[in-house]
Amino acid sequence: MKDTSFDEVAFFRAIAASGARALLIGRRALVLLGLPVLTADYDFWLHIDDVERFNAVATGFDLAATQPPEEARRRGRYVLENGEHVNVLIARSVPTVGGVIVTFEEVWARRQSASLSDTDAVALPSIPDLNLTKQFAARPKDLEDIRMLQVLARTDEA
Amino acid sequence: MTQPSDALIAIQDQSNRTVSVAEMRAYLDAPMSEFEREQILELARWFRLRYPTGAQRLSYVRRAYARWSER
Repeated sequence: MKDTSFDEVAFFRAIAASGARALLIGRRALVLLGLPVLTADYDFWLHIDDVERFNAVATGFDLAATQPPEEARRRGRYVLENGEHVNVLIARSVPTVGGVIVTFEEVWARRQSASLSDTDAVALPSIPDLNLTKQFAARPKDLEDIRMLQVLARTDEA
Repeated sequence: MTQPSDALIAIQDQSNRTVSVAEMRAYLDAPMSEFEREQILELARWFRLRYPTGAQRLSYVRRAYARWSER
């Protein structure tokens, strides 16, 4: 069983305070928007220049990077782990399976803020951009997530 | 630790595969019934009412995942 002592609100707060341009993507973003979906991991899309800044935050939560920053930049992604598993995408752009090129800079510019509490918030992609990030891997569960997000977006409840 | 069965591995492979563009379009373009739409909205309404803050929602999912992974 996963160690439940990890303080995820403190983790998100520290990321925001660090100034790292980090977007929470994946199913935890859906959870914040109000969809109760299960997930084990944290998924971020991070600006490629902010790896060291992000890792410095992670170190404070006993999370260690699987690759040094230069290797991670070459690969476009890396993982932080130690009990928790944090997937970090750092590619400047990623194609969807349908061939749409999605760039971090554009998604960051359109980001939304999801409140955690009265004082804390997390940066997320807009819902249309979140849908696009779900098409990077386009697994069956990603398609289910997209349909749910589409309902939220259309009803303006998100 | 027990080894996963072939059936479980096959299910995992199936759920982790990347679908084709045609499959994706067929799935996403399929019309949504009013029932499906209302089910999704009802789920979101319940979750948001029961867990009004983002921190509470994240905490719920951590607990739910821990329970699920203990099975």
